[in-house]
Amino acid sequence: MFVELNITLRVSRHPARNGKAFDEYRVQLEERMSVLDALFRVQREQDSSLGFRCSCRVGMCGTCAVYVNRVPRLACSTLVRSLECDVLTIEPLPHYPIVKDVAVSLQPFFEQWRRAKPAFRPRKPEARDLARIPKDSKYRRLTPTKRDCITCGACFAACSIVGMNDHYLGPAAINKAFLRVLDPRDAAREERVKVLDRSLDGVWRCHTQFNCTAVCPRHIDLTDSIVRIKRALFWPGRLLKP
Amino acid sequence: MKLYLREAVRKYRWQFSGMVAWLIQRVTGLLLLFYLFLHVETISKLSQGPVAFDQAVGTFNSPLFKLLEIALLGTVVLHAFNGVRITLVDLGIGVEKQRHLFWYVAVGIGLLVFLAGAIPMFLFAVLRV
Amino acid sequence: MFRSAWEWYLQRVTGGLLLVLLVAHFWVEHFMSAPLRHGHLTYQVIQARISNPAWQAIDIAFLIIALYHGLNGLRNIILDYGRLEKRGVAVLTMVLVVVGAVWAWWGIRAFSRL
Repeated sequence: MFVELNITLRVSRHPARNGKAFDEYRVQLEERMSVLDALFRVQREQDSSLGFRCSCRVGMCGTCAVYVNRVPRLACSTLVRSLECDVLTIEPLPHYPIVKDVAVSLQPFFEQWRRAKPAFRPRKPEARDLARIPKDSKYRRLTPTKRDCITCGACFAACSIVGMNDHYLGPAAINKAFLRVLDPRDAAREERVKVLDRSLDGVWRCHTQFNCTAVCPRHIDLTDSIVRIKRALFWPGRLLKP
Repeated sequence: MKLYLREAVRKYRWQFSGMVAWLIQRVTGLLLLFYLFLHVETISKLSQGPVAFDQAVGTFNSPLFKLLEIALLGTVVLHAFNGVRITLVDLGIGVEKQRHLFWYVAVGIGLLVFLAGAIPMFLFAVLRV
Repeated sequence: MFRSAWEWYLQRVTGGLLLVLLVAHFWVEHFMSAPLRHGHLTYQVIQARISNPAWQAIDIAFLIIALYHGLNGLRNIILDYGRLEKRGVAVLTMVLVVVGAVWAWWGIRAFSRL
């Protein structure tokens, strides 16, 4: 048994149609309806021209990240009821070029992602044995939660420094670099540190606003990663200690 | 500039307390830098002799200036306590769950300190009790 | 080696120092001696304290620390906008250093003619 309720979806349209930047749709709220479910309902029953992205629909791929009431969220994982609001404004994530309606291109995100050199580079590519990482090592202690990034781009959208600075690395790229820098098997530490240490657009542009941490759908403590890198850049020896 | 501000407010939905803290830190910092300029300007009048200096200081006894001094106290308290909060975060203390609590502590204790200074200042200097 | 890391570190250190110095400064200027407690901030009272070179040294140090913290803060605000290239950053730093030096000189000059 559920209470019948209608919600209003205000969806941003790009390009604007009939001079209106937003289109409004009424949707009957169902028991465990997610924002993505609501968008699909609109697309199938009311307006087939509505454009939005999704893929896995279970919060694993990061494709469906949109601005819901001006907070970056995964549409598939955000239950409408949890928003406690009957007008949902769906907009494209800020800081990205818009492709159509609420679908954006994540190109700026991946430009910075690549700059942080996210690929693992082995110290001993010819090695045949498994590397042994001690259970109580810094890498094992600090990184389990940091690996969950699904590159959804929410943190990049939420960061106000990204909003004012076109060249800032952004939380996800820094977090990825942190993972690699801490990895005892990785050989490219110095190169990554050089990128991270840039005063123009490296970690020093972060001012611990915590926007990124607040919106990460995988609950990664991104600000923590960035702050740890700052400390490591000041005390270089400490980072390298196991 | 105004357009930028309006866009920024509309865009970020100022529920992110860390962002509000960052903005407060910047604004109070700039205000204090400006105050430092005025302060050095006044103190430099020492080199012009007692008459000039005492006259300059005399203008600060009016109730308006006393109110401004109370505002200055508020600005300093905000900037200092938020700065302490930021330093603790940078040291890794209280990053996980405590950040909002810290902000309330910083603002809460800061408010108490501010009132401890502002109320006597207001009573004695502005209302001339 | 990591210059930005030092700036980050010093901003926090100078901040902490300023907090202590500010409280001390306030006490010295408004509570230390009887005439000050009654609001008589006159040339005579201040000159009596400032003639002592120890106080001069403390006040000058206070000013320089405050200038570092404030101007470094301003530099960070400008850098955040990301509109400068590497050369622009060097120019900005130089400009702020010059501004700081002039400002400090202006403040120190006040003590010289007492």
